[in-house]
Amino acid sequence: MIQTSTQNELIQYVYDELADDACAQLESAFLQDSELAEGCSDLLMLQNLLDGALKSPNERAVQNILNYSKSLSLQT
Amino acid sequence: MNTTTQMSDSALVSLYIAGNEGAFEQLVNRHKNKVYTTILLIVKDSYTAEDLMQDAFIKAIHTMKGGRYNEEGKFSSWICRIAHNLAIDHFRKEKRSPVITLEDGSNVFNTMSFAEDSIESRQIKEDTHARLRELIQTLPQAQREVLMMRHYAEMSFQEIADATGVSINTALGRMRYALINLRKKMLKSNIAYDTNLYTE
Repeated sequence: MIQTSTQNELIQYVYDELADDACAQLESAFLQDSELAEGCSDLLMLQNLLDGALKSPNERAVQNILNYSKSLSLQT
Repeated sequence: MNTTTQMSDSALVSLYIAGNEGAFEQLVNRHKNKVYTTILLIVKDSYTAEDLMQDAFIKAIHTMKGGRYNEEGKFSSWICRIAHNLAIDHFRKEKRSPVITLEDGSNVFNTMSFAEDSIESRQIKEDTHARLRELIQTLPQAQREVLMMRHYAEMSFQEIADATGVSINTALGRMRYALINLRKKMLKSNIAYDTNLYTE
């Protein structure tokens, strides 16, 4: 059973917010604890899946923003 | 080759404030998908999300051109926070969550575009990502909020804790439960947990 504090560290680790020394400790713990390593692997897969779920706006909406900015520049 | 493509957001902001419109185009193209998805996951309507995305960037334009941009913090967190706040305001005003259905009966969330893939694998990815977005929307509000702020708005857990008035451990705990619940929901919905799906 992975402790709550370690689970929080795992979250910080996959989001690149864990301090260097804590990172090193966690990485050496992966070698001893397969459950922990598997938990990390699951989180990384979920992270990638969430990245893939990003959706693009219509190009017209993007162009409207750029045109608006340019129109302000022309006024000044 | 455009010399602004490798620049940091901070450098692009400075160039834009100095009058370089190309720098702003880079910033918009770099962050449009995260801004748009952040809004879409709240308002659930692609047309409204596009309108609010435009409002968010227009607000950012006025802040930057008006000399009120605060250099502290990341541009991505800042623009996504503007987007998040606009979406929440809209949601509160509407007090409803419309789901737009297209003429062919499909949900707007099923209209993603992907690079060259076989039709079949593209369809699988499309379905998986569309269902994932639907599952995100079924998470408890506090968990969904943290997940969106961290994953899409790129706010740090400390920034999220400050913005939502909780401790960093609570923010981390909410994120943890959001991901655990999402995984459970995916397994329950029989969403393929195939690593091949995750590589773009």
